[in-house]
Order: sequence, then structure tokens, then C-alpha cells
Amino acid sequence: MSGGGVPGGTRGRRSVTERDRPLWMLLPGGVLMVIIIIVPIAIGLVISVLDLDQYTLRQWLSAPFLGLGNYVEALTQSPLLRSFWISISFAVISTAVTVPIGVAAAIATQNKFRGRALVRSVFLIPYVLPSFVVATVWRTMFQPGGIIVNGLHAIGISSGLWLNGPQSYWTLVIVEIWASWPFIYLLALSGLQSVDHEVHEASALDGALWWKKLRYVIFPYLRGPLSLACIIAVLSHINNFTLPFVLFGVPAPDDVQTLPFLTYITSFQSFRFGLSAAMAFMSLILVAIPVFVYLRAVKLDTDEGGRK
Amino acid sequence: MGIKKTRTAGLIATAAVGALALAGCSAPANSNGSTSGAGKTITVYVGANTQYAQAQQQWFKDVSAAFEKQTGAKVAFETYASGNDELTKIQTSVVSNQGPDIYDLGTTFTPTAYSTGAFVKLTAADWKAIGGKSKFIPSTLGISGPDANDQVGIPFASRPFVMAYNTDLLTKAGISAPATTWDGLAAQAKKLTGNGVYGMAVAYKDNYDPWKYIWAMDSQSGNPLVNGKTATIDDATTLKAYQTYFGWLTQDHVVDPASVGWSNNQALAAFASGKAAFFPMTTATSIHTLDSSAVKGKYKYALMPTVPPGATSLPSGGKPVASILSGDNLVVAQYSKTQDLDFKLIKLLTDDAQQKIQYTEFGNLPVNASTASALESSSPALKPIVDASAASYATPFTGAWGDIELGLVNVVVQSIPKLAGGSVSDSSLKSLLAAAQKTAQSSLNRAK
Amino acid sequence: MSATAVRTGGTPGVSGRSRREGTRHAEVTRLLPRGVLIAVIVVLCVLVVFPLAYVLFGSVNSDVGVARGEFLPSSFSLANFAGIWTTVGLAKGITNSLIVAGSTAVVSAALAVATAYVLVRFTFVGRVTILRSLLALQSIPGTLMVLPVFVVFSSASTYLGITVIGTRWGLFITYLTFALPFSTWVMVTYLRGLPRELEEAARIDGASNLRILGRIILPLSWPGIIVSAIFAFLLGWNDVLFASVMTNPDTQTAAIALQIFGATQQGGALPLYGQMMAASLVCAAPVVVLYLIFQRYLVGGLTAGGVK
Repeated sequence: MSGGGVPGGTRGRRSVTERDRPLWMLLPGGVLMVIIIIVPIAIGLVISVLDLDQYTLRQWLSAPFLGLGNYVEALTQSPLLRSFWISISFAVISTAVTVPIGVAAAIATQNKFRGRALVRSVFLIPYVLPSFVVATVWRTMFQPGGIIVNGLHAIGISSGLWLNGPQSYWTLVIVEIWASWPFIYLLALSGLQSVDHEVHEASALDGALWWKKLRYVIFPYLRGPLSLACIIAVLSHINNFTLPFVLFGVPAPDDVQTLPFLTYITSFQSFRFGLSAAMAFMSLILVAIPVFVYLRAVKLDTDEGGRK
Repeated sequence: MGIKKTRTAGLIATAAVGALALAGCSAPANSNGSTSGAGKTITVYVGANTQYAQAQQQWFKDVSAAFEKQTGAKVAFETYASGNDELTKIQTSVVSNQGPDIYDLGTTFTPTAYSTGAFVKLTAADWKAIGGKSKFIPSTLGISGPDANDQVGIPFASRPFVMAYNTDLLTKAGISAPATTWDGLAAQAKKLTGNGVYGMAVAYKDNYDPWKYIWAMDSQSGNPLVNGKTATIDDATTLKAYQTYFGWLTQDHVVDPASVGWSNNQALAAFASGKAAFFPMTTATSIHTLDSSAVKGKYKYALMPTVPPGATSLPSGGKPVASILSGDNLVVAQYSKTQDLDFKLIKLLTDDAQQKIQYTEFGNLPVNASTASALESSSPALKPIVDASAASYATPFTGAWGDIELGLVNVVVQSIPKLAGGSVSDSSLKSLLAAAQKTAQSSLNRAK
Repeated sequence: MSATAVRTGGTPGVSGRSRREGTRHAEVTRLLPRGVLIAVIVVLCVLVVFPLAYVLFGSVNSDVGVARGEFLPSSFSLANFAGIWTTVGLAKGITNSLIVAGSTAVVSAALAVATAYVLVRFTFVGRVTILRSLLALQSIPGTLMVLPVFVVFSSASTYLGITVIGTRWGLFITYLTFALPFSTWVMVTYLRGLPRELEEAARIDGASNLRILGRIILPLSWPGIIVSAIFAFLLGWNDVLFASVMTNPDTQTAAIALQIFGATQQGGALPLYGQMMAASLVCAAPVVVLYLIFQRYLVGGLTAGGVK
């Protein structure tokens, strides 16, 4: 990363100083990135081609070389593909549900009313609570004989098990939705605030019905921020390790073994570090898709000339 | 930066303490020439005891003080919250060749620790340093290593699994003593079920319990699940064990249907509120909870049945397994630079005085033979637990055991939705067993 | 789409606009019928507040009461709040978390300003690559990194004689590195929105880069700095994965201390539910307070960088 330190790249950019570039300021961050991210990724790559388990851990560099063996095993003889599917559906469902909630909340709080500041603060609380706290609390609420089961039972619904079996998947989705909708809300709010007051006035004068106004006047303003929000939300859902880990513990039901969770179990429960590293690199492919879209969506570089 | 300040302060403090220790005029003279511990600190990794948290903190201080008096070295205790954390710590320490000097391991983790080759294999001299092998109850050495000459684990505490029963409920039903066969227990439980009370409290969702039932029943039938390098999970005895275990719920209806989601502590809570007559798979540590509950004075401990399901007496080849060999072993890391001191500390911890404290403060049974016999004669109520300790058998000693355990529990974990629905079909059970067998076998194949 | 996203995000003080809306415009800008609006607010508030109330009530309840699924406690006692400090080294955990997360926040914000300044105001080879990696690096799964990072740290001890594992330094460096991409990205979007006339004037007067950074950029970018610092703080505060392998009881963080309350011995007794709830509240408190204080900046800044 600090390769950027090589001077001499001129790109005919206006008003950007060529002399006196304090490139040394990139150094601390660059060095950290290299030591704590780049080097470990390289080590991870090495581990992924080794037969590294509890028997070989002590001299891990001399563990037998397997080539792509771990990758093949991960694809053919491990639950990796199932976890792919769990992660994807989990991320997509969570995102799809949080968008309408977030937008509705943003619309509902965009006008001033008494207590709005309080409501806005309350709305953001799930988002700022640490994941490990959220998971600890919901685990207690969802346990058998716990408040949710008893509450549903009291109104005549026998809800079964929330922390086991196929239903545990929905538990994970529910808690993730509870914790993550405020993020969509925030971005929707910022989208709404970019709507010019004239637009509101014009559509009020037209006497447009509220849903027509929403559909044709307001939503176009939200499309940008919401698209960005969706990509980021999908990414954070896919990478969420703490929530399933603290919510279900180990051994976890098959239905909640998302990719990061499976990777963790494979290395730290089954001691298959090589296999686990191979899984992790393959799951990077999944992450790469939203990241790619993200990179395209976000303007990386300001076009100074065009803006002025 | 805050870190820097505290860090510096810490360094100064350490230096000061070191200086004081060095200045301490009469450090114990080492007539036999062994290393002096002055200024050194040994790190011991133990499980956090949330039930006796303060007692544990105090114990840490006491041990360190006693050891410092004896050798000049201090003892620092590190705690872990779960077996999961413990495993992770072992792995990272092994990779990095640094970490705690002594680990307090659950007995069933010992094979895994052994398989890493990162812990000291005990020589005759090492055993002598900790006071001789003969000071331990022989059965507690059963899971110290693959054979008697190749051991890494030093017994530290014994926590055999027993069964608690509600004496009031049994008397009312006219049952004089708990059954000693699984079939008999189920029959008694049927009698005891009714009026909001269930015959048994079983924790199907527990992360550890299920495999202990299955392994015990299997061993009683003569199938210890691992035969050399072959896994024998897809065996008729295992099927029978699972059928029995699930049958309490689906056939006999002697357990609360809600227990499909219980872990051990919820089963304990049910028993403590008087809603269950038998509570198998508990240890002496539950005394603390039970004595402050509705069943105080109305419960006793007994051995779990030792005759397998479907039999009236122990079949040939079967072992009268009352419990897995359960408790704690201490292992010394090879990277430890203070091994002499490590063994001295282990001697201290396994000698009579400390072993007594383990019982009085934490409810752990002694592994020290003379402490145990003194304790047994002084408190007869402990007899069933001491008996269970004697009737404990070690689980197979293989590095693959962790995976096998997970596989056995997983059969239950994945069956729970069906269990909640009221029946687990033999075909689904068989396919789950086949999967567990495959996992276990591939893990055994990788064992070195 | 991308243009909208970045423009709304890049504008500092997004939330400022709402304050300018007078109540008399409320009718014009209201997007939903009053009934729907109220319903949305009430439902969402209930959903958010219910688990919070549950924790609060649980924290003064008995362990058995929580296990039985009580919402309103059958017994009331503040003993749990007293107990949490002795059962587990919670005070130490919180102190460690404050030290580590706090240092991470300050240092990462400082590095982020400098890095962003170079990235926004100067041109050099590799600049776009760095910008791109800032986004991509945010999505590397932590489960992949744990063991390799551990290997790097342990080599530091083996080859350089520096003990990193188990110290607060190790955690600090790890969190700092993982916080940097996001912190820097927030500052990049923020600095882009700042006018450059002042800097250019200063440069003509012969001011050095450090001087420009300290005297001109810094005073103008506090809102952005606060956001990037807070998110670095949250990253450190919320982490479970790295803290679980890189700490010892003297350096363990609040997240790890909380896990211990949920721990159960095999065949042991009821978990300390009441204390667990009390400790959850205590662990969440610093984050929530921080958020309430800086709420206004956060809402704008989140949308700027757009990742949790």
C-alpha cells in the first residue's frame, strides 16, 4: 500500500500541488496495514495450502503441503456450500426487511413534532448497542421458558424452539433486523433531507395525494442513498460473526452456521486451520461481489474540474 | 496516551516488586540446589468459577502467597469463561510458543492437548517432584495419557457425574431407592410423572450432556465408540442408546416437553423447584444451588444406572460405567521456562491441604488418595459421589475425541426439532449416526 | 445514483437542515397521513423499547425469575449491580476497554486526518488504489485474520523480544489497523467538502504541510474527526473475537468480562442471569452515552462513510 510513495505520477490535475507532497504522512497507516492486514493475509494463504491441525500446529511451517487439497475438501466434503446459501439468504432477507422499516421510520420522523428528538434517539439505540450485548439479551429472551416463548404461549401461540433447529435461522434474522434497521433509517433520513423544500411546496400546490407524492416525488431522492445503504448492509450482514456466535454458542445448529461462523468452528473447534483458511478465502469471493458494486457505486475520486 | 502511562506505571511497579522480592532478606535457601523462584511469576490458566467467584479470587491470592512463601515465586491466575475459550487459548499458545505455564484442563480436553505435543510428557523425576504417582487415586490417572508411561495430565480435581433425586417424591410414590438399570429408572420415572411433576429432568439442548449419556450407555453395552483407529458410532448399541435417550420424551413421556430446549442449568432449575423427581447428569457443584432452593433437605445423590438399556444385568464385555472420568487435569506447557517451579506448584495444589480446600470451597472432590479417604469417613453423605468417582471410566484417549464428542452432540442438536415434534424416526436417526460416524472416522484417520 | 449518494454523504452537517424547518412548514412536508405516522412511530418505539425494558427489569430480578421468563420482576433488588463488580473483574474490563478503545479512537482519527489530507489534496501514483483499498479492506472477515495476526504478534516476541500478546498494546494496534480504513474514508469524504481557498492562501504564504494540517484543516474538520473517532471507539469496544485470544485477566475487555457471566460449569448451577443483565447495561452504557452526546455529528457522519 505504501507503494504510493513513489513520486513522479503526473496526471494533469488542476490545482493539485505537485511539489511538497507530504507522502510520509501515509507511512504510519501504511506500515500498520502491511503488518496487521497484508502480512497476515499472506500467512493465511500459506496456511490454506497446509495440512494444519492440532497435530502439526506446534511447528506450523513444517505442516505437510496439500496444494489445493483444502480447497477441494471445503467444496466437496464440508458444509461450505450450505453456509454460502445461509449467508446469502440471511443477508438478503435482513436487508429486504430493514429497508421498508427504515424508510417508514425516516418518513415518520422527518417532520417536527413534540418529542421527535427523543424518538430519533430511541430509534438509533439498537444500532449503537454492542453486538455482544444485543445477542446476550436476545438469547435470554428467546430461551425455552423465557419471556418470548411464555408471552406467545399466553396468547395461544405455541412457538417451539428459537435457539435450535430450523427456526433458529429465523431467530438470527429477527435479531439482526432489530439491530440493523436504524442504519437504513439513517441513510433514508439523509436522503429525505436532501429533498428541497420547493419540491414539497410544489407537490402540495398540485394537491398530489400522499402516496403519489411519495412514489413520484420523494422516492427518487431516496434511491441513491438507499442503494448504497443496501450494499453496505449486505456486507455487514455477511460479515457479522459476533451475533450468531454469542446468540447460539458452540456447537451451533446447522441452520445458523454462516460463513464466518463456520470458518471459526472449523478452526477453533475442529482444529482444521488449513481447511478453515481455505474456506475463508473462498468466502471472500462472496464478499467480493458487494464490494465490487460498492466500489463502482462510490465515487472514488473527486472530479475537481467538473464540480466547479 | 493512557496506555503508555499505565504501562510505564506497570513496569515501574513490576520493577519495584522485583526489587523488593530481591531485597527480601531471607529468601528460602535452596539447599538442594534447585532454582529459586524469587522475582518469577508462574501463570496458571483456570476456568472462571462464577458460582464461587469471590472464593476463587481469594483462593488465587492464598495460593500465590503460600507459593511465594515456599519458593519466592508468585502465581498469576488467568481465567476462561468457556471450554471454547480454553481451546482457543491452547491453540494460540501452541502456535506462538508462549502463554500460561500451567493449564487446568477439563479431563476430556486432555487427549486434544496431548495430541498437540506441546505439553510436557511426565518423566519419573517429574512425578517424583509432584509427590509421586502413588499419592493420587489410581482411577483419576485414567485420562492422563494414552498409557501409563506416556502421560501429560496430572489430576487436580474430581467431579464425577451423579444423579440427584427428590426424596419426598420418591417416598410418596413408594419407591425406596433409585433404580440401577436404565430400564428400571424409566419405569420409576413413569410412576413419578403426573400432577405437574415429571419423572426426570433431562437437558437435551446442553452442549455437553448428551454425549455423556450416549457414551455411558454404549460403554455399558461394551461399545466404547472408538476401537483402535476405528469409530463404532453406526452400531446397534448406539442406536439403542439414542432411542432410549429420546424415548424418555417421545415414548415414556417422563420428561417435560420443554426440556428439548434446556441446557443443564435449566434442568437443574426444574429439579430445584421440585418439578422433577430424578435429575441425572449433575455434579456435586449443584449442592450450592439446591441447598438454596425449594428442595433443600429433600434431595440426595445416587449413582446413575450402570446397566445398559434393554438389559437387566451388565452384559459381557460391558463396563459398569457410572460416569465419565470427569474433573480437571493440570498440564505443563513445554515452552514454560519455569518448569521446576511449575511442578513445585502442582505439588502444592495436589497435596492434602489444597485438596481439602478444593472440596470445602468449590465442591470438587479430591484426587489425593489420603484426602479422599479422610473426607469419605468424615461426611457419609458424600458416599455416592465418591463411589461415582471410583466407578468413573475414561473416555477413549485420542486426539480425535473432541470431534467425536461434537459429532455425538450434533446428532441430538439436529434431532431437536423432530424431538419437539414428538418423534424421532429410526431412519433419520440412522442417517445422523452415519454422518457422525463419517466425521469421527475421518477425524480418527487424521490422528497421528 | 452514485453521484447522489456521495453528494448527500459528503456534505457536512446534513442534519443541520432539519433545524431550519419551521413547524409551519410541517403540513407541507408531511409525507404520510397523521394516523399512519403515529402508528409507525408507536410500533417501532415499542419494538425497540421492549428488549431494553426487559434488560432493565431483569437486572433487578433474581436469577430464577429471569430463567422463568418474567418481564416485571417478582422480586426487586439492586444486589446484582453490586455483585457484578466482584464476580468478574468488570471494572477492570471496562477500564481496559476505555483505555484501548479510547486510544484507538484518538490515534486512528489523527492518522486518518493526515492520510485523508494527502489523499484528497495531492496526486501520486497508487492514490486510487489506496482509495479503493480503504473500501475493500473494511470487508475482510475477522475470523480469517485471528490466527495469522496472532502468528505475527507471536513472531514479534520470538524474533524481536517484544511481548505483544496479552498486552493492551496488542489490542490497540489491532483495533487501530482495522479502524483505519473506515476512519480514513470518513475523513476523505469530509475533506472533499471543505473549500481549499484557505489552504492555497496559506500555501502561498509559505506555510508547511504540517502547519496547514494543524492550523487550517483540523479546526474545520472536527465533525468528521469526531465521527471517525467514535467509530474507531465502537470497533474496539464491540470486538469479541480478537479480545478473546489476545487478552489475559489483567487486560481483558468489557466484552470478554460479560461473557463470563453467561458461563456455566458443566453440570453446574444456574447462570447469573440477573448479574448478566446488569452487566449488559453497564457494558452498553458508555457507548450509549457517547452516542447521545455526539448524536448530531454521528447521523451526518454515518451517512458520509456509510459503514458501521
